[in-house]
Amino acid sequence: MTLLPMPPEDPPRASPDCHPATVLGNRIVADRYWRMSLAAPHVAQTARPGQFVLLTPSHSPEDSVVLPRPMAIYDTDASAGTIDILYGVVGFGTRQLTTFHIGDGITTVGPLGRPFEVAAGTRRLLLIGRGIGACSLTLLARAQVARGAEVVALLSGRHADAVIGAELCRSTGAQVLEVNDADGSSAPTALHARLLDLLDGEPPQFIASCGSDRLANLAQTLGRRWGTAVQVSVEAHMACGLGYCHGCSTGRQGDSVESPLVCTVGPVFELASP
Amino acid sequence: VEVTARVTVADRVPDVDLTVRIGTLSLANPVMPASGCFGPELAPLTPLHRLGALVTKTLFSAARSGNAANRITDTGYGALNSVGIPSPGASKFRATVLPEYRKHGVPVIVSIGGLGIGEYFHIAEELTDDCFDAFEVNVSCPNLERGGLSIGADAEQVGRVTQGVVERAAGRPVIVKLTPNVSSIAEMARVAEAAGAAALTVANTFVGLAIDMRTRRPVLGTTTGGLSGPAIRPLALRLVWETALAVDIPVIGCGGIATTQHAAEFLVAGATAVQVGTATFSRPDTMVRIVDELPGELAQLGCRSALEVIGTLAS
Repeated sequence: MTLLPMPPEDPPRASPDCHPATVLGNRIVADRYWRMSLAAPHVAQTARPGQFVLLTPSHSPEDSVVLPRPMAIYDTDASAGTIDILYGVVGFGTRQLTTFHIGDGITTVGPLGRPFEVAAGTRRLLLIGRGIGACSLTLLARAQVARGAEVVALLSGRHADAVIGAELCRSTGAQVLEVNDADGSSAPTALHARLLDLLDGEPPQFIASCGSDRLANLAQTLGRRWGTAVQVSVEAHMACGLGYCHGCSTGRQGDSVESPLVCTVGPVFELASP
Repeated sequence: VEVTARVTVADRVPDVDLTVRIGTLSLANPVMPASGCFGPELAPLTPLHRLGALVTKTLFSAARSGNAANRITDTGYGALNSVGIPSPGASKFRATVLPEYRKHGVPVIVSIGGLGIGEYFHIAEELTDDCFDAFEVNVSCPNLERGGLSIGADAEQVGRVTQGVVERAAGRPVIVKLTPNVSSIAEMARVAEAAGAAALTVANTFVGLAIDMRTRRPVLGTTTGGLSGPAIRPLALRLVWETALAVDIPVIGCGGIATTQHAAEFLVAGATAVQVGTATFSRPDTMVRIVDELPGELAQLGCRSALEVIGTLAS
């Protein structure tokens, strides 16, 4: 998978801010997934689809967690000044996130990163998300449906409960396809056939993918067939979120001496045609 | 209520003199970032003009790509990294990076590195005419393909690098950043002092390993990395104490500092100034908070200046 840095966005992304966001809710929603709501007005009002925040899952500088965790912005409410994060509990950092209660403050930096870029005039979009990766696509679905585009969201997971974002995408007006490994519906060959059946007559002008290299490859195959640009959102171990620590190299080809950083050049990249 | 509280705190800020000297350099306070854990990109998040000094990421003469992913991981009470010092090279640094550091009106310390002794001399020469205040010589990065730690663990090479950079520093103070991965840091410290170092930063990261037990592979792309953060604070404190006893030049303490009390501990152990690294990632305001709180912390120790507390560890 070759990732190409996208050109700087116009207008430029909003400058991030840093403050202890008040936790408004933090509860398990399905399987190992939790949803946290935060009062974060600056992020809520300026974040664009595909951007992320850094959350510091420690209650004090003496806690065990020392690095913040990058989190896709699952949902925003600009008028209420709130954002929602959906996270999977996979390690000690995300376990620590579950210990935050309503009223606690959690250090939040954002909005960060390169957002998706959908060309004006795009009428139809295909979004492909796997597991927690779907959280990078939900704001995009909402924004694109709101501007009148037709959005098809293919959401995949290990089993039915691990399919993330279906309800939110459906509520925006997107057409949602849910598939999973348990019943075999997520196999790439089956998906390929299903998406051709659904979209080959009137292909999308934009494809976005997040959460799975296999699904990114599928997106690439379809993009090549349809002559459609593919953008992917990738994740990495991260520390500063601003580019100065150089910790989140993609390790993939870029256009400079150092391979591109996920936090500032990404997390959204264009997927090169092979 | 919040406003009242803030005024009350301000009224109570004791009159404590935070100024310290590093060689010929006078700092308004002893708090600065650790090289590699800082960049002018932080400016929107915290007021950088409040810091005692700014320290650049280590600069190599030529552009460098840095190491393979993963480059950093949270080990619990520590961060293990093997970033490998990606560097823009001297010309790009001069054109686009250094001006961003200069904007904040505080002394700028340029950290330099090399894969061999000659590269240190070369980058020092290239920067002779540029506008900055001191060199920090990084002879202690554990993540380079060659040089780095192997230079910092060899007393003879530490001496040669230090002396060569001092000769090319155009009168600027030269700070040598030592590695903790040696049996006697005091020996390295004395060698650097004899070679003309104006100060010593103690210390860089400790070599460590993190394993992903799902795959039984190393988490980091280069297998091992350098450990920083709270886990190494007692180790760094011991090294600072030992170094300060061994030399007459100032020691800059570095290793796991995340609170004002931690910073004061390092001063008591003998450090003249402190560097904050890993803590900034989780709380970007850490350094400025320490600057704000240090007068109160020192006043509680009965001190009216930072100088009064340095090296006062009771026996």
